[in-house]
Amino acid sequence: MVGPTTSLSQLNRADGSASYKCPATGYNILGAVNAPVELPGRRDALKPEEATVEVFVKPGTTTAGVGERYVEGILRSVLGKVVLGREKGFPRRGVVLTLAIVGGENIERGDSYLTILPALLHAGLLAMMSASVPLSMTFAATLLCVTKSGDIVRDPSPTAAKAAVSLHVFAISSKSHLLLNESEGRFDFDTWELARQHALSICQGASDSSDGDVSMSEGKDGSLNGFIREAVEDQIYSDYAYKLDSI
Amino acid sequence: MSKEAQLSIAERDFILEALREDVRLDGRQPDQFRPMDITFGEEYGHVKLQLGKTSLIVRISAEVTKPREERPFDGLFNINMELSSMGSPAWENGRSNDLEASATNTLDRVIRHSNALDTESLCIIKGVSCWSIRADVHVIDYDGNLTDAACIAIMTGLQHFRRPDAVVKDGRVIVYGVEERVPVALNITHKPLSITFNTFNDSKHVIVDATLKEEQASEGDLVIGINSAGELCYMSKIEGSPINPMVIVNKTSVAWDKVKELNLIIDKVLRTDLAKRAKVGMADESRAENDRLVATE
Repeated sequence: MVGPTTSLSQLNRADGSASYKCPATGYNILGAVNAPVELPGRRDALKPEEATVEVFVKPGTTTAGVGERYVEGILRSVLGKVVLGREKGFPRRGVVLTLAIVGGENIERGDSYLTILPALLHAGLLAMMSASVPLSMTFAATLLCVTKSGDIVRDPSPTAAKAAVSLHVFAISSKSHLLLNESEGRFDFDTWELARQHALSICQGASDSSDGDVSMSEGKDGSLNGFIREAVEDQIYSDYAYKLDSI
Repeated sequence: MSKEAQLSIAERDFILEALREDVRLDGRQPDQFRPMDITFGEEYGHVKLQLGKTSLIVRISAEVTKPREERPFDGLFNINMELSSMGSPAWENGRSNDLEASATNTLDRVIRHSNALDTESLCIIKGVSCWSIRADVHVIDYDGNLTDAACIAIMTGLQHFRRPDAVVKDGRVIVYGVEERVPVALNITHKPLSITFNTFNDSKHVIVDATLKEEQASEGDLVIGINSAGELCYMSKIEGSPINPMVIVNKTSVAWDKVKELNLIIDKVLRTDLAKRAKVGMADESRAENDRLVATE
């Protein structure tokens, strides 16, 4: 399996941007972050001591609808927790994240939005990083589907996801804590626990992975968190290039 | 934030003074476009256009729907452009602004109302089913001249796009997948493009393809939609200070030259891309390890 690819800060106008491509599912997401920005007064009254995270998902070939609103809600709650909205300059301001689905199959109305959620989460996180928004941690997300025969398949294609019995999305922080759990379909707790362990080994690249089938092409240690960490390292390297030159 | 940062007085004076000496900020001639780069995505009709620092992605998509009651022979064609804060921090997500309204209107008038895409060819069964073609414009970087850039990208996308083949058998519509039958190109009747001119110093200086700063410093604009054959299909002078009629006459011929030039560039990139696709397609088919679909007939 070929790992995802990303490139940061491609855009000129936005404060930070990231493009994220997942070859397994075919999705290509472009994320842009503007932060901190002024928000019209009516919105920041809810929590004046924190920054407001706004997420906007722009589908590739349709107008945004219910599915986009739903996934925006999930993204807002996860990223809202990760962003350090009380840092200097952030309270009463907005962190505006725009995610455009620029490649890959269209999600028909009524289809599951979970298939694209990991890609959106990664693109959002990387764009935040590119915009130098203070974050408390990084995370990695993965999509698992349980087939009729009970196998757990990672990053299924949209057609495979449609045929699956249940779909699970897990986001796991860099410290191995479970940040997000979204499931769909019929499953029992044992299946869920199995899927969670599977997700943990995908995200953390644990060597005690049961099937030994964890991909080796992503990141240094083959994990999704490793992939994110590498992106962070590259970003920091380029941010501090001026210091390296002066040594 | 819902407004672009304003140009400072010094900057405005600098731009105007430079134009009086026939110099533009980036050293271009008045009738010169910024360097343009058109690339294609994996699927048909996925165009990424970079015009200077203005950058946008156009995706063309097709689906089968019911035609409108009053036009049973016509398919549907829509251009959709929503400006999000990705393109510029001044644009608020989910809210339209003046620029979006005017650019969408111009695109509609130049491409849709001039019938660049033959909608009658999209009809499958009269009054029952037809193709609906949709062009989605994602502006990812905004540095002036949005209309022209979007127009070029949409026209390129329409010429690049291939819709699945559909056949009527015993009154039923069969849509063949891309693997089953060679997809069909859209029927393009002519290739109009819009050219936006910006005027300065009482319309003494008129330039094409203004950057954002030049747009902000300009006193008025003039949009001309024209095709390669020189047929004028759109002209607007909505706001700003008046323009000398002779300027309009002269600039129409400039626009014609520009459109011919741009269409040549579009043709060239399209040909290179399609040649590349043909080669890859053939290589795919002649591969031994290719898992072939078992013939059912």
